Amino acid sequence: MKSSYYTILLSLILVACGSNKKPDLAEIDNTLATEEASFPEISSANIESILSSIPHPLELAVHVQESGIEYNSAYLNSTDNYSNYNTSNKKALNLGIYGADLGYTNIYSQIQDGLDYLTVVSKLSDDLNIGQFLDFESLRRLTDNNSNLDSLLMITSQNFDRINGHFVDQNNASLSTLLLTGGWLEALHITNQVMLTQMDNEDLRERIGEQKIVLDNIVLLLTVYSEHDAQIADLLADMQRLEEAYQSVTISYKYEESTSEIVDGVLEIISNSTSEVSITDDDITKISAIVEEVRNKIIG
Amino acid sequence: MIYFKLKNKKNFKNLDMKRLVFFIAVLFFSTSISYGQCDAAGKAAGCAPNPDSGYTLIKSFEVDGKGGAKEKIEYSYVFTKGTKYLVNVCGGAKTPDGVVVTLYDKYRNKVASNNVDGKVVPAISYPCSATGIYYITYTFVESKDYCGGSTIGFKRAG
Repeated sequence: MKSSYYTILLSLILVACGSNKKPDLAEIDNTLATEEASFPEISSANIESILSSIPHPLELAVHVQESGIEYNSAYLNSTDNYSNYNTSNKKALNLGIYGADLGYTNIYSQIQDGLDYLTVVSKLSDDLNIGQFLDFESLRRLTDNNSNLDSLLMITSQNFDRINGHFVDQNNASLSTLLLTGGWLEALHITNQVMLTQMDNEDLRERIGEQKIVLDNIVLLLTVYSEHDAQIADLLADMQRLEEAYQSVTISYKYEESTSEIVDGVLEIISNSTSEVSITDDDITKISAIVEEVRNKIIG
Repeated sequence: MIYFKLKNKKNFKNLDMKRLVFFIAVLFFSTSISYGQCDAAGKAAGCAPNPDSGYTLIKSFEVDGKGGAKEKIEYSYVFTKGTKYLVNVCGGAKTPDGVVVTLYDKYRNKVASNNVDGKVVPAISYPCSATGIYYITYTFVESKDYCGGSTIGFKRAG
């Protein structure tokens, strides 16, 4: 009995003093591939590492804005749909979607729409017990002065990072995965919609192709939780169809050593590495169609 | 005599085990205490890019070296071609306090580090020319507190 106690104690300490190095994403991928039918053993540190790699939806939204296309609220998930979301999974997915929409309205300085999205983001956050990360009343008070709104909405977008950390700490990283998946899918949906009206836009074409890298990580994360959650398994199947549509998209990469200089205390890097994306019109059409189908299932 | 020796050996074993447990408990609690001393989240929150710089904050990372027990903390992020990133590092009140950030590409080629010939600078500006997963690794060199925060801001390159 005593020896079991010591073993458990020692194990706890070994875990507490665990490895400093987080494995490569490729390493994690290989582990998952060999696990097949069994529930993959993946530590919270590894999950956090993959979660942190998912880009912020605002990055794609900035590329959309710079395409010169005007703001279009029809691209966004209607705030009226909020009442349709009655499970934690649905709420987390749509919180991600509404968060991306909030970022989109912010980039275009659409104050009233921004407030509407802020309201549903706040409601869903409360529903998921993460309302403490969004002090909505203070935010609303500050919005009395419209000039503060841009920064307020930006702060709200930034809080999503803290929410993700909270879900991981609470052993609820599946919700974090869904939150990020929703945000990423919405940003890709908006980019696709703009791309379909500007098929000669090389910047957006490349950005859509590059999402193959992010999708691979999202599939990896969903795989972890799909075994014990039918809704996530269903979403995983949809994402795997999207992965198939991305199969013919290629991304080449060539490393060249960087150079640098210090300017005003900041190390300015001159990057010499390059990447090229190959994606056809047909690929974009297929990818857009699947994204729309999956998104409609989520927001419906 | 033999019985006495065996008994002593048993006592010694018990004593040895007690000492081991005591040592482990002290180690565990002292580690826990040092964990509590690093407000990495607070340091990350205070490490946002200057609003006038044009960078939008997109990620914040906690860098808790557990008082020196943890040598390396690693995150990853997908950097996008055509986007300029600013990686800020905060440790002490006005300096990075020896918190070194190094960027590696997905093949672990070194892309950048704020440790320039032994001088640790507080920020790296990286105009990304190749999309992919990058590893953001934090280590320490002559750090006082082994505790910091870091953020990534972005703006369109050009």
